Amino acid sequence: MAGENPCSQAAREGWRVDSGHRDIRLTLPARRENVAVVRHVLGALAEALDLPPAVTEDVRLAVTEACTNVVRHAYGARGGDIDVVVRPSGRALEVIVTDAGRGIGPSPDTSGPGLGLPLIAALADSLEIHRSPSAGSRLVMSFLRNRTRPATGFA
Amino acid sequence: MSEAEPPTRVSIAAGPLVGPVLRRVVGMFAARADLPLDRLDDAVLVADVVAARAPAHVTANTVDVALASSTRSLDLCVGPLRSGGGRALVVDAAVPGVGNVIERLADELDVETEGEQEFLRVTLAYAGAD
Repeated sequence: MAGENPCSQAAREGWRVDSGHRDIRLTLPARRENVAVVRHVLGALAEALDLPPAVTEDVRLAVTEACTNVVRHAYGARGGDIDVVVRPSGRALEVIVTDAGRGIGPSPDTSGPGLGLPLIAALADSLEIHRSPSAGSRLVMSFLRNRTRPATGFA
Repeated sequence: MSEAEPPTRVSIAAGPLVGPVLRRVVGMFAARADLPLDRLDDAVLVADVVAARAPAHVTANTVDVALASSTRSLDLCVGPLRSGGGRALVVDAAVPGVGNVIERLADELDVETEGEQEFLRVTLAYAGAD
């Protein structure tokens, strides 16, 4: 099996549109195995930014939950992408997880306990949820970089 | 892997985070391609060279890489790069006493042009027996 030539897709989709930002951006097919890629990248960032271990663990768990939600509920059989943007700023690390699927809400194939969003809200220092059945969902999570204890939800 | 999937794309603002992020992503995809350990190490080395040299050749201030893995093969697409940037990035990968890292490690190397921008495609594979 040969994978698609990534250069062909890059040229076809005009990637320069997304260039020029000041962030780290990952766009991955919404598959279970790719959640691990996101976790690895967050681990690398945490090392490079020298984040306290408590913050690192909160970020990784919250973002894992957000990405898992996309994999499980956003697209169904048709598939789609997870878009993860990480913005390190002075005091906080902002992580935005976006999908273009059906948006956050009751899903016909939901079988889990529905703890994802409450868990993310407990782990992040702030959380914004933007949802639309036609345009997907966007979770904006912010984590204070100098926090030395786990977030309030797990204190 | 049982079926082809669209490439994963990583875009990192040029700066100190390019290396740590890119080497981690490339390492994961090399492992997913089931490359043996020495070729996985080669892939990470190529990622390090791209992280160090690509910022001088990109069209904006980000280093963009697309990755696609298949059985025993990993494709990296670096770009968009400025016109002439594909070849210039390869030339910049020369290390005194070692030679050109990308040319020595890649199984395939190609510059693809799309209008004013270029993409450097690097393929690392393993055809040997287990």
